[in-house]
Amino acid sequence: MSIKVEHSFDDQTYRHYLNGTLTVMHCHHYMALATQLAEQFADIGAPQILADAAEDSIRPMLDDYFAKNGVGSADEKLAVGVEYYAVIGMGKMQASGSEAGGQASLSASHMDQGWEMKWGKRDTPMNYWTRGYIAAVFAAAFGKPARSYVVTEEAGMITGAPESKFTIRLK
Amino acid sequence: MTVQRDVVVKQLADVRPLGNEEGLIPQFGVLINNLPANFWNLATMRLLDAAQGERRKELEAALVDCAHQCGYNTGYGIVNSEEFQSVVMPMVTEGAKDVLRGAYAVFTAWGWAKSGIAQIKEGEKMVIRAVDYYEADEKPGYHMAYMIRGVSAAFFDIAYGGDYPNGLNTFDCEQTQGIEMGDKFGEFVVTKK
Repeated sequence: MSIKVEHSFDDQTYRHYLNGTLTVMHCHHYMALATQLAEQFADIGAPQILADAAEDSIRPMLDDYFAKNGVGSADEKLAVGVEYYAVIGMGKMQASGSEAGGQASLSASHMDQGWEMKWGKRDTPMNYWTRGYIAAVFAAAFGKPARSYVVTEEAGMITGAPESKFTIRLK
Repeated sequence: MTVQRDVVVKQLADVRPLGNEEGLIPQFGVLINNLPANFWNLATMRLLDAAQGERRKELEAALVDCAHQCGYNTGYGIVNSEEFQSVVMPMVTEGAKDVLRGAYAVFTAWGWAKSGIAQIKEGEKMVIRAVDYYEADEKPGYHMAYMIRGVSAAFFDIAYGGDYPNGLNTFDCEQTQGIEMGDKFGEFVVTKK
């Protein structure tokens, strides 16, 4: 399966769109610093705020793609979610599961590799953004509302693991 | 001749960021991501709404700092990129001031903010105006263009802060007007720290 990718540009506002969704490029410095910021503001729940913002911004993009391209089955939707992750530059994902939950893994990761380029390895996983992304993919695939899935990062490439691993569980 | 924003935009706007076989976008010496703009706005707004008092002030400074460091490192990569050297540099006739104009042309072309330099006193002060920027898409009741603030300070650091990478944090930027607050444009004032 290979998803459709259509870039467009509004020559009035100078904004860029990916398959009709307004997107913006940023670099690994920005993403790593935003993640570090989230950890520095853990007292206000910032890591989860980051994950929830990812879930809430990714879900409409996926739902829109499914509707426009006639993607109907849960398996197809999971596959689109996996491919979209690579299209937007976040890495190489594998995912499988059912309505009750499943597993996902990353063999390449903008977040982990970007953090390592900036600061080196660390002892704990920190891919809050991808937790939110995976929650959006599973909720979209199985027709659930936001916050239906708990995504836990069990292993992170940033700690030296060969792959990042996530478990997904229906609440 | 000086740097013509519309000419730069026309030549550089055709950017098509797309993950490679590893799902990564390595460019300008960094890894690029291409996320829904709404992610950044939602995250910023929800973080700000969750922080109170002194923590909110610290958070605002941290949000600017994220963009400042990003803008400094990636901005330096962009200014030295093949694209910038081939499209912008042939139009540069006024030194650092023109390089800055080129940087804002790229900033515009790649969708961060339709922006340009309104006033500049070289090495001392710069006023930026933006007539469209994604950080204005939410209307939270406060200025929210932390990314433009940080990147504007970073661009001035690159132009007048000394040799890279030692010029970071030479300048600061405040937002004085914002479309997100009902103003006609966003206005950003860069001064020495």
